[in-house]
Amino acid sequence: MTDIIFTDKQSPASVSSQTTSKTNCPYCGVGCGIEATVENNKVIAVKGNAEHPANLGRLCVKGSSLHETQGFHNRILSPRVYGKNVSWDEATSTVAKHFQDTIAQYGPDSVAFYLSGQLLTEDYYVANKLMKGFIGSANVDTNSRLCMASASAAHKRAFGEDVVAGCYEDLTSADAIFIIGANPAYAHPIVYQRMIKAREENPTRKIVVIDPRKTATAKDADLYLAIKPGSDAYFYNGLLLYLAEQGKLNNDYIAKHCQGFEQALQTAQSQFADIAAVATACDIELSLLLESYQIFAETDNVVTFFSQGINQSSTGVDKGNAIINCHLATGKIGREGAGAFSITGQPNAMGGREVGGLSNQLAAHLYFENSNEIDLVKRFWQAPNIATKEGLKAVELFDAVHSGKIKAIWIMATNPVVSMPNANRIKRALEKCPMVVVSECYENTDTVNYADVVLPASTWGEKQGSVTNSDRTISVHKSMIKAPGEAKNDWQIITDVAHALGFKDAFNYQHPVDIFREHAALSGFENSHPFSYKRDENDVYRVFDISALANISQAEYENFSPIKWPINSANPKGLKRIFTDGIFATKNQKANFIPIIAQLPRKLPGNNQVVMNSGRIRDQWHTMTRTGRVAKLMTHSDEPYIAVNPDDAKRFQLEDKQLAVLSNLGAEFIGRVNITTEQRNGEIFVPIHWNDNFSASARVSALVNPISDYICGQPEFKHSPVNIKPFNSVWSGYLISSQAVNCQTNYWSKIQLEQGHKYLLSDQQELGDDESILANLYPTIDDWLVLKDDQQNVLRIAGFIDNKLHCFFAASTNLDLEFNTRFIEEQLNKTHPIKTRFKLMSGLDSDGKNDVGTMICSCFQIGEKTIKETIESGQCKSVEALGEKLKCGTNCGSCIPELKAFFT
Amino acid sequence: MTNTPSPTADRLTNQFSESVTQLKPLLVIIGNGMATGRLLDEIIKRTPNKYQITVIGKEHFGSYNRIMLSAVLAGDATIDSIMQKPPAWYKEHSINFLSGSLVTYIDKKTKVVELASSAQINYDELIIATGSRTAEIPAKNQDVEGIFNFRDIADTQKIQAFAKQEGSSSKQAIVIGGGLLGLEAAYGLAISGVEVTLVHRNKWLLNRQLDKVSGNMLQSIMAQKKIKFALGHEVASFENTIESNAERKVKSLSGVTLTNGEFISAQMAVIATGITPNKKLAEIANIDFNRAILVNDYMQTSDASISALGECCEHNRATFGLVDPIWGQCITLAERLCNNVKKPFQNAPVPTKLKVSGVQLFSAGDVEVSEGSQCFTLLDKKALIYRKIIVKNGKISGIVLFGDVSSGMAYFELMRQQITVNTMMPELLIGDEFVTTIENEQKVSAA
Repeated sequence: MTDIIFTDKQSPASVSSQTTSKTNCPYCGVGCGIEATVENNKVIAVKGNAEHPANLGRLCVKGSSLHETQGFHNRILSPRVYGKNVSWDEATSTVAKHFQDTIAQYGPDSVAFYLSGQLLTEDYYVANKLMKGFIGSANVDTNSRLCMASASAAHKRAFGEDVVAGCYEDLTSADAIFIIGANPAYAHPIVYQRMIKAREENPTRKIVVIDPRKTATAKDADLYLAIKPGSDAYFYNGLLLYLAEQGKLNNDYIAKHCQGFEQALQTAQSQFADIAAVATACDIELSLLLESYQIFAETDNVVTFFSQGINQSSTGVDKGNAIINCHLATGKIGREGAGAFSITGQPNAMGGREVGGLSNQLAAHLYFENSNEIDLVKRFWQAPNIATKEGLKAVELFDAVHSGKIKAIWIMATNPVVSMPNANRIKRALEKCPMVVVSECYENTDTVNYADVVLPASTWGEKQGSVTNSDRTISVHKSMIKAPGEAKNDWQIITDVAHALGFKDAFNYQHPVDIFREHAALSGFENSHPFSYKRDENDVYRVFDISALANISQAEYENFSPIKWPINSANPKGLKRIFTDGIFATKNQKANFIPIIAQLPRKLPGNNQVVMNSGRIRDQWHTMTRTGRVAKLMTHSDEPYIAVNPDDAKRFQLEDKQLAVLSNLGAEFIGRVNITTEQRNGEIFVPIHWNDNFSASARVSALVNPISDYICGQPEFKHSPVNIKPFNSVWSGYLISSQAVNCQTNYWSKIQLEQGHKYLLSDQQELGDDESILANLYPTIDDWLVLKDDQQNVLRIAGFIDNKLHCFFAASTNLDLEFNTRFIEEQLNKTHPIKTRFKLMSGLDSDGKNDVGTMICSCFQIGEKTIKETIESGQCKSVEALGEKLKCGTNCGSCIPELKAFFT
Repeated sequence: MTNTPSPTADRLTNQFSESVTQLKPLLVIIGNGMATGRLLDEIIKRTPNKYQITVIGKEHFGSYNRIMLSAVLAGDATIDSIMQKPPAWYKEHSINFLSGSLVTYIDKKTKVVELASSAQINYDELIIATGSRTAEIPAKNQDVEGIFNFRDIADTQKIQAFAKQEGSSSKQAIVIGGGLLGLEAAYGLAISGVEVTLVHRNKWLLNRQLDKVSGNMLQSIMAQKKIKFALGHEVASFENTIESNAERKVKSLSGVTLTNGEFISAQMAVIATGITPNKKLAEIANIDFNRAILVNDYMQTSDASISALGECCEHNRATFGLVDPIWGQCITLAERLCNNVKKPFQNAPVPTKLKVSGVQLFSAGDVEVSEGSQCFTLLDKKALIYRKIIVKNGKISGIVLFGDVSSGMAYFELMRQQITVNTMMPELLIGDEFVTTIENEQKVSAA
């Protein structure tokens, strides 16, 4: 057999044919299975894998457009040291030498790794092993700290281990779902669709949504409670009180399987005289509160579904336990359709926890508290230099970088300059740090720009390895295409550095399956007792046990069927639910009630401040390095915005659709005001995705106070008191451009188009009156077309290169003026006959059909106007009819709440 | 001239007697320009046999399209091709046609016109359609050979003859006047290989129809035809050489001196600075006149049997230089004469639609902004397209289109009907089709 040599230009016959692979979506924590079609080293189509238990064939709009993120544009192709392209050998030895020297001079705690929930389990495992077993520090933390640390700690406190007991099927078999601190309609569309479908099939099923914001999820709820931000623990403590008062406790379950109930109840009682006091604390009508409590109390099968609204809090662990307390107290846990279900934000947040990728974990659900556990890991790894104490958690870790205690940091697959609280401080910390190594696949992320050493990493579709989704399902991502340039898989990069550090024997991996087997073996190492075995003091028992996979063959690994852990001799086919027999992972096998004193967020707003909440929007992912490249994902929400209550708008003199500025910690966020009653008074919401690559000032995290949960160190992203004021634009406008440009305006926001980019602009400087205002951005253009009036109400400028439309600018000092750029976007880079090209200045196709309005269905690109017209014409009287007629809502379904709104 | 009736006149008198016997009223038209041509069409269309018609024309031609003389000069058309009514046409329609004849007198009392030949022609209805002539300019020394007007076929032929002259190494011409006629003369000459300098009093060309931007664009297009420009100045005097030939001394043009003192060498000058109505017959006949012959709404002069038409008449203080309103006059007059219907002439504003040097222009209303107006412009320097709409109190008050005149008439209608257009701007400027789009959208969103 001859080797196929891949080059950029060559496409050998053997790869030109189409192949289909089963792999997984790299976005949210749902972890959907995907069938990807590959041709010519490119994923050309994706569809849902009907056999995958997470999604049963469906995909959301982000997942459905994965193939559109393909293409090697903007990829990092070569290792770089101080801005110079170097060989892998040189890059690896540079990293190793700096780490070695730093450790030699300042000790192992002077270095750190900062990882990501988007790494694969194998990558995570190798990085964690290198730092905790061989360098000898536990300074490995991950962006999962920003996401899952609270839930993880709450699980451990209650169950003795970080275990999500239930699975997605519980969401369809529950008779009531309490969704708190989560907006799955946007953030986890596929599981949300499953819940909705289950309710459609059985309308007695109830969905109760508890959220300060009237989210898309809330709009579809049977009961919606707009509680005060951060009052979640009051709500669940109140529920515990109510359950006790109403005699709805499962005393038998409490007695048999739990401990600490009395103390937990008394603590809750000590905070409230009665339920009315709870309603006051949650700032909600008593009747609504009672109605929701009654549903919980009187429904056998209840799932509480929670996510970042609970986790990203200064008391996130407590909130998690307040929830779990109520499920334990009613025995609504460990059986079909009941439980406290934490959903992760990232595709492998759980996998990271499984390998111990957080700094307070050691490895494989083993911790530092017990010397037996440290010893176990040390022996398994044959680690010369095992860490013996917890390392620094994300916020502390970057503080230590800032203060100079950490002198070398390696950041992998994440963008902390955008995502960490007080993000401008992260910039300064990285500027000061003597050695910043960044493994990344895309150029010019906000963090790559601060790297001393840049290591080109492979990404989705290129790398192989396993992930664990939110319901413990392990799946394997397939390597379907060859990475561009010299990009390598993260596990290989780490392994190479480990070798250069002198740890060759312990990191002798040839294939990710080698790592996976070791990881599986560690999970089962001295953990072979059956689940119900009476454990003694010295046992280091873990529910997380996938030892049945420790000898998996490469072929089995490469054709891995999704399976839920534990996977061991007792459960060779995995396990849907854990704790079904009421036996928990604590020493005495009883679940712990945790006494919770409910607390509001630590920093409350001043008189002239509002509380900034932050979160995801429907069609974007994280810091947009991938989704920001897909034009259609930008059509639903295309710029950073600030959702504001009408009263606040009045109070701060903000106008709808105009810009406003938020400020805190010396940082600013400029976004478009969206006045909505979906926000409570005094509270605003901003999307987390935008960053320096996409907007002038929209890194939300830069305004987030570095206040973290006192137990787990997860930052309080959901509650930041900030100042707010109007931006006071002199003019605003749009720039549609074939090339990316460095806008100089006070405000700009970039939107990826099919061809080129669109910029939304606003400035506090005077608007010019001819093409000279664009001359700096386009020095080579000398063919301009200008439409204007003499009062600066209208200024439109088109620039051509070789008669092709290269850029189009439309601006006005009349800030209410709207200009629909849709038609122009389609004309970019096209040749236009010179005699009629002036018609472009209208921005309209002469048949007027270009403007479909605000995009509602991103999958099929169906806009508001089209939908309205169709409804008004009497052709469609329901969401289903619209789906039949226009196809909107029939793919990912995440626009269905918006479609429903047209009929109400 | 003698008083002896010419043979032609005799023949005419005979025909008249025939007419009289048929009791047809006599309709006499003085002048055979474009207005007359159109009027004849209107009359024949209505009542081909009501009148015995006589047309008296100064030129030795039938009726032709004067506007096309520029095209003739540029070589894009021939005299034959622009001829609309050759003498045979008049015969076919039983119209007495006197070409090469000049009317010298009108006797209102006896209803007789007298020709330069002393022939007398009776009329029942008389129409004066004597048109206009080139306006005079104040320059000195105008009695030199080589200075031409550009009004009729004869002028055109003289200019052409100069342009085609063999022998002289360089042929240089001055065209005076940057209006349409001047531009066309300059263009026609330049096409024929003459080195042309256009002298214009204003800072830019076609200043009544174009603003500075479009005027300059036009200039740049004309400049590509090797036409030079002296703008912002007038001719102070014509300069000449004196050549003596066998018969007499000939003062031949050698150039012009401009008001700024600049001298431009030229062997020919074409004066195209504007027109002056030919009202002399009215003066002689004691018919009321002002700048031109005064007419009422039915084109009647102060004498009820005498009408005036076209560039020689004045209606409500307006005189005329464009064909559009004159066609309206023809209809009013024909209605009255043929059908005895009184359909008043309304001098509605008309847009100027021009094609100069291959460039389409459209202009109506204000050219420059005034207090309280808002001006929308669209400029494509490469395509040489410029569009401008001036909006005052929400309504269009001025239109200038250069290079692409699409939607011009739609704008003109909006202006004429004083329709509020604020909400249609600036899309309207690009084309009225976009306004339908806007209106449709508004309908949709309002529904």
